[in-house]
Amino acid sequence: MSTGMQTVPREAWHETFAGLVSDGFGYLDLLTAIDRGDEIEVLAQVVNPDGAELMRVSVRLPSDDPSLPTIADLFPAASWHEREVAEMFGVAFAGHPDPRPLLRRTSLGRPPLRTTTVLAARVAMPWPGAADPESAGKGARRRQLPPGVPAEWLSDGPR
Amino acid sequence: MSAVVHGVIALVPDACTSCMICVRECPTWCITVESHAEQVSEPGARRPRTVSVLDRFAIDFGLCMYCGICIDVCPFDALEWAPTIDHSSASRDGLVHDTERLSGWRMHE
Amino acid sequence: MSTLPDHLRVYRVAAEPGTRVIVASVGLACCAMEVESAVRLGLLRTDAGDAESAGRTILLVAGTVTDALAPAVNAILATLPPDTLVVSFGACAGTGGPYWDAPTVTKGIDQLAPVAQYIPGCPPRPDALVAGLLALTVEPSR
Repeated sequence: MSTGMQTVPREAWHETFAGLVSDGFGYLDLLTAIDRGDEIEVLAQVVNPDGAELMRVSVRLPSDDPSLPTIADLFPAASWHEREVAEMFGVAFAGHPDPRPLLRRTSLGRPPLRTTTVLAARVAMPWPGAADPESAGKGARRRQLPPGVPAEWLSDGPR
Repeated sequence: MSAVVHGVIALVPDACTSCMICVRECPTWCITVESHAEQVSEPGARRPRTVSVLDRFAIDFGLCMYCGICIDVCPFDALEWAPTIDHSSASRDGLVHDTERLSGWRMHE
Repeated sequence: MSTLPDHLRVYRVAAEPGTRVIVASVGLACCAMEVESAVRLGLLRTDAGDAESAGRTILLVAGTVTDALAPAVNAILATLPPDTLVVSFGACAGTGGPYWDAPTVTKGIDQLAPVAQYIPGCPPRPDALVAGLLALTVEPSR
């Protein structure tokens, strides 16, 4: 199966998929998002079953204004994926036919899969790895941080 | 390498150097190591060496997900799988087992 | 006390037939596989009998209890006799386990009801299940 990849500006997102549909890419394989820091990348993969072709389309959105037109009118299957991305990454899909949250019953305030969203439990619980016996009595050589927990999350700042 | 029996994780206290690698690699933060530094003078050595002495090694089996990462990352083979299954408890705090209990679970002395 | 919901599985401990075990497998429960395995190994018996002949009733909660699922666990408890002992099976039910940092996961079913015995494991082995249940006999409720 041949695979194509393209990155498009957000203005071209919907028309790109409309064009792919008329080229025979009628099957939506996936639609998801990645937090790149300053940007949220939304990517979708469509398949042309006849030509055994696969096309991956990606768009970079500013993290403080991540909005995108829905493609649920072209691919009904995109509806749930867009609802999930909206809920988990805070991306607004304009024109979505059913914008209810897909999984969570109540809002937690911040999109949980954004790296800037603090996991309160990891903040409240002291990290047992912070103790540094090797530098006991000599002053800390270098600061130890728990893997996967950004320094800004730590309640009393970097230690 | 010890056989994986998915029972409990046992400790070889004499092999542990309190290096903290297991504590820092644990995904669920369930290991606690307390230690202090001591000066050891050896004959012929110009000055004393500083070594870490283990005071307490504890695993909270309420949080442990038995992934075995601590066993794999230990450079001194101080942790190993053991077949014990009787570590349930009537209290939440009773799921934290420390040095004595952990070392008593070893299959081979 | 209302009748037990149909979807709950009821067993007897083979080594102690007076103990009736009602299994509530909630959420993502790999622990459910270990409970089933205990049945296959003959450690739990399927001839549960009726509530009247049981010496005691245990509610075994296995799986990841989320805040959304917590009311379901409470609803099951409400149908059981008041002297039912709650046993937590596995890391998730006990403390939230690998998901202790997730904002949607209940950090232990002791936030819902007092727990008589915590069986640790991720998941616990079938023989650990029976060892934990029998430990309740040696040291009856807290």
